[in-house]
Amino acid sequence: MSSELERVVTVVPEAGLHARPAAAFVETVNDSDSDIQIAHATDDDDDTDLTPAASMIAVTSLGVEHGEEIRIVADGPNAEATLDELERVLTTPEDELDGENATATDTDADATTDTNA
Amino acid sequence: MTDTLTQNRIETLAPTEHISLEPPTTDKRGYIEFLLDLLVDAGRVDDRETALQALLAREEETTTGVGMGIGIPHAQTDAVTEPSVAFTRSDDGVDFGAMDDEPARLLFMILVPESGADDHLAILSTLSRALMHDEVREELYDAETPADVQTVLKEAVA
Repeated sequence: MSSELERVVTVVPEAGLHARPAAAFVETVNDSDSDIQIAHATDDDDDTDLTPAASMIAVTSLGVEHGEEIRIVADGPNAEATLDELERVLTTPEDELDGENATATDTDADATTDTNA
Repeated sequence: MTDTLTQNRIETLAPTEHISLEPPTTDKRGYIEFLLDLLVDAGRVDDRETALQALLAREEETTTGVGMGIGIPHAQTDAVTEPSVAFTRSDDGVDFGAMDDEPARLLFMILVPESGADDHLAILSTLSRALMHDEVREELYDAETPADVQTVLKEAVA
């Protein structure tokens, strides 16, 4: 069996875990071969609170604010590397995330700007 | 975590005039403008152009197509007088650039004044939490009147 690892990370982006940081987080989760679940770290580490982190709506639903801690549980072959990358996303101020995650976000931006702006 | 989206608040945030089940067939930008106009017509937005630019700027950061057939365009702007939520839906679905590639069929707009960052995240997260439930989405697809939609939302956040 693969190993399950977990880590508690404080969310740095000023607006909390939504919008661009949330998108970067979910993209990292979807690029990983590990299963990722998240919860508020204050939830007594009760596993029933864990939510699969593979969709924007799930991540947004947690309503994680700037300065709050979230608990990330990773299960899979690259769990450690995925946790490292997720921690990097969560600890990077939002304005420094520019230029990353060029795949989905760029396409989306085009979709909104090409109509009679 | 703040959690201020209670049942009673739905009526203030999303009175039935913020809800339309007769949207035009249009693209993402068109739906954003349609939802915005529901709030403009209800008297919630003083400056339509400023609100629209804030919404489009937010979309440029990352799409608000959050998956599961849901789009939640949102912004914090002082062009809105108080926290407001609008709703419409698209029978055919509209491309909101979601990561799961599912076209958005349920469309919410959240506008909150600049000072309301906590409120903004609370509304967004409570709505997202409610919409993750299959039965809530089904009930919103099936709702026949704006009042039905409001009832579904009230029950979903209860």
